[in-house]
Amino acid sequence: MGTQIARSVVLFGVLVAAGCNREVPKPPPETTKSPESAPSTERVVGPLSEADAAALATMNDRLKAYVEAHKKIEEGLPKMSKEASPEEIDKNQRAFELQVREARKDAKQGDIFGPEAQPVIKRLLASVFAGPEGKELLASILDENPVGMKLSVNMRYPDSVPISTVPPEVLQTLPRLSEDMEYRFIGRHLILLDSHAHVVADFIPDAIPG
Amino acid sequence: MHSRHAIAALGLVLLIPSAACRDVSVGYGSERVAAEQQQPATVALPNKAGTYKFGVLGDFGTGSREQYELARQMASVHGRFKFEHVILVGDNLYGSERPQDFKKKFEEPYKPLLDAGVKFYASLGNHDAREQRFYKPFNMEGKLYYTFNPNPEVRFFALESTYPEPEQMKWFEDELKKSTSKWKIPFFHHPLYSSGERHGSDIRLRKVIEPMLLANNVSVVFTGHDHFYERTKPQNGITYFVVGSGGKLRQGNIDTESGITARGLDTDLAFLVAEIDGDQLTFNTISRTGAVVDSGVITRRPAK
Repeated sequence: MGTQIARSVVLFGVLVAAGCNREVPKPPPETTKSPESAPSTERVVGPLSEADAAALATMNDRLKAYVEAHKKIEEGLPKMSKEASPEEIDKNQRAFELQVREARKDAKQGDIFGPEAQPVIKRLLASVFAGPEGKELLASILDENPVGMKLSVNMRYPDSVPISTVPPEVLQTLPRLSEDMEYRFIGRHLILLDSHAHVVADFIPDAIPG
Repeated sequence: MHSRHAIAALGLVLLIPSAACRDVSVGYGSERVAAEQQQPATVALPNKAGTYKFGVLGDFGTGSREQYELARQMASVHGRFKFEHVILVGDNLYGSERPQDFKKKFEEPYKPLLDAGVKFYASLGNHDAREQRFYKPFNMEGKLYYTFNPNPEVRFFALESTYPEPEQMKWFEDELKKSTSKWKIPFFHHPLYSSGERHGSDIRLRKVIEPMLLANNVSVVFTGHDHFYERTKPQNGITYFVVGSGGKLRQGNIDTESGITARGLDTDLAFLVAEIDGDQLTFNTISRTGAVVDSGVITRRPAK
C-alpha cells in the first residue's frame, strides 16, 4: 500500500475561527491517525494541507447536516417490525425516499461535495489510481458499471442497475461515511448514495482521472 | 477456444486435461428440462445422522424457468438429504425488487424448501438492494455483514463484498480470531479466485481478505458473481467455490487456461450441498438435470 496516505485529523473549525477572530488561529497539531472515538463522518485521510483539510471539514459539516436530516426523517417513519414483509419494507423505503427528496428539493450538484472539496477528493482518488495497480483498480470499478447514465442530484438510483464495487483502497482513502451513505461509481463519476433512500445525494463528475 | 466451444457444444468440457483426478465438467445444455425429464440426483454423501448439512446457492433471483427447474431439483435432493440451511452468495434478486419480485424470484421457487423449514442465510451482491437485509427469510437481521453458528463446530461469516470498508474488514478479522469453531466458513459475492472470463478473481479483495483466511485456518470459501460453478485447486491450502450458477448461466465462460480450476461447470445451472462430520466436509454439486457434476471431501486445515 505504498501510495496509501496516512490518516490525519481534520482541522475542524479553522475557517470558522478565522472568520471570527482577527488573530491568525493556531492550527491544531497534526497527527497521523484519526482518533478511534471520532464519529465516522469526521474521520478523513491525510496528510492534508490546511486548505485541503478545511475543505474536507466543510464537506463533513454538510454531510453531517445531511445525515442528521436523514435520521430525523427515519425516526418519523413507522418502525419496521423484525418480521417485516416485502410490502412493508418497500413502503418504508419509498416513503423515506419521497421525504428525503422533499426535504432537499432545491439541492444541486456540489451541495455536499462543495467546490473546495471536489478537487481534494479528485486528488485523493488520483493518488490511488496513480499506482502500478491503477489499471486493475479501474477495471474492478468498471465491472458491470452503468457507464453513460445521466446523473442528477435527488434521482433514484435505478433499481435494475447494479451497484459498482468500491475497492478497499478507495474506501481506505476517502473520508469515512456513516451507515446508509455510500460512495459508488457511475462510470468515472463518484456518487454519494443514500442507500436507504436509493437517492443520489451528490456526485463529482469525472472524479476518476481519465 | 474455438475447439473448446466445439467440445462444449457436444456437451463435454474437458477443463484440466492433465490433472490426475477426473477433472471434467459434464454439460447438459441449457434447453428446457421438463419435470419428467429431471432425474432425481443420486447424492453421494455420507448422509449420516447428527452431521451438519447445508446447501449453497448463488446468482439465482431471475424468476426464470431455469431457476425454477433448479429449485425443483433442490427440493428433490432435500427429500433425501435433509440440509438445514442454504447460504446465499449474492445476487438474490435481479432487476426490480418490488414485493411481487420477492415472491416470484425467491418465495415461489423455494417454497417446498421454505415449507420444510430450511433456513436461508443471505449475503448481498452487486444486484441486491440494501433493504434485503430486513427481509426475514434471508435471516440477515438488518445487517449487511454478520456471522452465525449452526452448531459449536461450524461458524459462517457473511460479508458484503461490494463495499469492503475498513470497519467491515476489521469486524471480519476480529470475528475470525474470536471464533473457536473448527470450521470457519466465509461466504460472499465476489470471488477471490475464479476462472471467469467475464469477471474473474477479485484481486483487490483478495489482497485484503486472503491473509485473514490464512491466519485463521479457514479451509473453504463460497462465492458467486461469475455465472457458473467452479471449484478451485487449493490456493495456499484453501478451496474456493464459485457457485454463481443458481439462475443465470454464462455459458462457456470458464477460462480453461487459468490453471486454478479443479472442476467446473459452465453449461448448466447447479447448486451445492455439503455435510460436515468432524474434520471433513463432503460435498456434491448437482445440476438442473440431477447430475452430480462434482463431489469430494475436504479435510479442514489444522488450527495453528
